[in-house]
Amino acid sequence: MSFLSLQFLFFLPVTCFLYFLVPKKIRWILLLGASGVFYLSNSVPLALFLLITAFSTFQTGKNLEKIREETEESLKNWGDSKLRAGETKKEYRAKQDRKKRRQVLLAALLNIGILCVLKYTGFLFSSLNQALAVLGFSDLLPGVNFLLPLGISFYTLQSVGYVIDVYRGRCRADTNFGKYLLFVSFFPQIIQGPISRHSQLAHQLYEGHDFCYPRAALGAQLILWGYIKKLVLTERFSMITEPIFQEYLNYSGLTMLVGAALYGFQVYLDFSGGMDIARGISEILGISMTENFARPYFARSLAEFWRRWHITLGAWMRDYVFYPLSLSAPFSRLGKRTRKWFGTQTGKMIPTFLAMFLTFLLVGVWHGAEWRYVAYGLWNAVIISSSILLEPFYKSAAKKLGISTEGAGWKLFQMIRTFFLVSLGRFFSGALSLRSALTMMKSAFTVWNPEIFTDGTLLGFGLGRKDYLLMAFLTLFLLGVGVYQERGGKVRETVAGWKLPLRWGCYLGAILILALFGYYGPGYSAAEFVYQQF
Amino acid sequence: MREELLKILNELRPEIEFEKETALIDGGVLDSFDIVALVGDLNDAFDININIEDLLPENFNTVDAMLELITKLQGEE
Repeated sequence: MSFLSLQFLFFLPVTCFLYFLVPKKIRWILLLGASGVFYLSNSVPLALFLLITAFSTFQTGKNLEKIREETEESLKNWGDSKLRAGETKKEYRAKQDRKKRRQVLLAALLNIGILCVLKYTGFLFSSLNQALAVLGFSDLLPGVNFLLPLGISFYTLQSVGYVIDVYRGRCRADTNFGKYLLFVSFFPQIIQGPISRHSQLAHQLYEGHDFCYPRAALGAQLILWGYIKKLVLTERFSMITEPIFQEYLNYSGLTMLVGAALYGFQVYLDFSGGMDIARGISEILGISMTENFARPYFARSLAEFWRRWHITLGAWMRDYVFYPLSLSAPFSRLGKRTRKWFGTQTGKMIPTFLAMFLTFLLVGVWHGAEWRYVAYGLWNAVIISSSILLEPFYKSAAKKLGISTEGAGWKLFQMIRTFFLVSLGRFFSGALSLRSALTMMKSAFTVWNPEIFTDGTLLGFGLGRKDYLLMAFLTLFLLGVGVYQERGGKVRETVAGWKLPLRWGCYLGAILILALFGYYGPGYSAAEFVYQQF
Repeated sequence: MREELLKILNELRPEIEFEKETALIDGGVLDSFDIVALVGDLNDAFDININIEDLLPENFNTVDAMLELITKLQGEE
């Protein structure tokens, strides 16, 4: 079952209805049951992996809590203890901390290990085979392609994040396995996130919420908007981008650039549409979910883009990879050396850049086990580090040219520049392979064919004039909504505050657009969420 | 201590009026690169050891919050 299946159209209202029907105390059990049905409808055997992750991280959380209590108790009664002769409080704390670290390490190794084995063995074996072929050995290792449990990349990060949060004291360990299992498997977010934090989400899942019509209406609006993005827009964009990326040898020059830009936008519509549906469902149930997108195409730098795009993955990588690496003893030692070698300013940046490169490399391979994703991660790291290094140059150049860096024109230039850089990165994430991505990029920059905008090339993708008009209209609408939100406007609350005829006219219009222009036909299966595969 | 902290902050991001800011982290004024650089500078200047556990928005949102964190960590040393 997916958000786009017919079963889900039945499953969702029944779940919501039953949720508000059963006593408050057991509403979390209903959500757990619904999440179970949702997950098992996709695969029964693969659910075992989810259970292993949930159980191992739950147990680790409990162990960490036990060590914490033991430590507190011992420190409280330190004077009474006769067994601790020769051990100082500091030494005792360090010993207990080592115990806790071991627990975290074990849980992380087990769960990230499962993810790596299932997701990357095929990639590793085929890369090794290619390397061995150079030495004259052919196909020494078998071709492997494991089936991936639904949402494994998301629930693994969420569960490991929970363990680290308990270790860091940012949340208390769960004591009820059923409740914790709900936190790991909550059906609106299991397919493609967001990657939630225990302290933000868990208590909301465990509490029973009352039905609230205004909140449910806001949730329904978001769901409707998500489905329009997904079924009306994404599908049409994919009809243009798919041929360009799949049959890239048939296209050249600016068509490649247009394809990459549209593909980036398509991924945004697809992924953010899925998030809107997930957040909308949660809102109806009274659960507020973390936002995963904050209008990324309004970003003025690639670094800012990553703070607005897939926010929960970026935050996870920042808190559990980038910070620990940057502030670790080896990186600190490296920083001291590089300061000596390159001077304070440059030397200080080197370990931070190294941590960023490693973090983006992980972000890349998290998306998939292929060289093009490695390149995708590194592309982002290279651009962000060069933009930091070049910032003083940009500023002095703007000053010399008399351009105000606070003016609207400069900001627009920055947004367009970021859009261009993001679009170039899409060659890596959208192409069939790293080789085809590089071929497409080369063509994009070596063939100048502006005639594609006038000779009908861009109209030859099986879409009619009406489709283009609809896409243009909805994209402009999306842009308008984005501008309104950037200025602090709350679109859904504004619509909900309109008088009944206008409000319902708007709702019915949206439903009509979805019903008339949504793709439900034979190409229906192609409408699976792009991020689901991760 | 306040003057020294402000000196570090102004060297890091001269364009920001730190005394007026109330949401340096939550408002996205300082990014993760700034935080890493700031932590290194604060550790050196005040002879403290800021851990990852201390990297909470509430510890870095304002100048006062940072001073409070520094004082707390100096007390622990």
